[in-house]
Amino acid sequence: MTRPSEIKPREGSVRGTLYEEFEEGARLGPVSFDVTPAIVEEYFNAVSADRALYKVDDRQAAPPNVLLPYMTVPIYTKYPPNQGIVMAELDMSWHNPIWADETTTVVATGRVLRKFEKRGRRYINWEATFARASGEPIATLVNTFHVPE
Amino acid sequence: MKREIDITQEMIDGYGRINGDNDIIHYDHDYALARGFRGTLLHGPHMTAFAADLGAKRYGKEWLYRGHLKTKWIGPVCPKDRFVVELSDDGTVKAESGGDVAMVGLATLKD
Repeated sequence: MTRPSEIKPREGSVRGTLYEEFEEGARLGPVSFDVTPAIVEEYFNAVSADRALYKVDDRQAAPPNVLLPYMTVPIYTKYPPNQGIVMAELDMSWHNPIWADETTTVVATGRVLRKFEKRGRRYINWEATFARASGEPIATLVNTFHVPE
Repeated sequence: MKREIDITQEMIDGYGRINGDNDIIHYDHDYALARGFRGTLLHGPHMTAFAADLGAKRYGKEWLYRGHLKTKWIGPVCPKDRFVVELSDDGTVKAESGGDVAMVGLATLKD
């Protein structure tokens, strides 16, 4: 099992990244982690998800958003977070399920797309791909977050 | 279709445990007030998860293979709020919390 806290630097545990230190175009990852049945079960409970909605031919899948707690792994492992980051936007597509009855090894890669200021606030925009170790895609995302001054 | 959830600090803490963050904006009421919010904040991806359930309900198993969920977090969601998220027939997502719009977006299937 890989808990997100085992691979994501936690706010305050190391020096956080200043806005100026993010680099547009910077490659993120690859970083690998295991999503286990126990994590899937914990996620079902944490987000009050309806298990019945995620059955495929009588096999229990995880909510595809089970990857969200791992979402920032690619960027935070390269750019540890400061306190007070606020998420602004997420665009996510799912390609293949994570099953609730097996451990899935996920490989995450990404790239910083751009950094910008809007209404006096500073933002980081980046993308990531999550795939099985075999290369089969699981999910892709583009995320924007606000870095506190 | 619509979903209504009463938000508690315990829910935020539970998401924080699996999320593995230590961002005090989710856990320190006084810090959140100092940042100009009404209280501690529900994680944005936690809001997204509530909307994702509606996508799964609408699209069935195709959601797992072709689901596309776009969410923009535009307002705070705090403990004691009633969070109401709605998925319209055209795939538009809108959520309100504490009487204000908290999230907008889109839940659709990709070709």
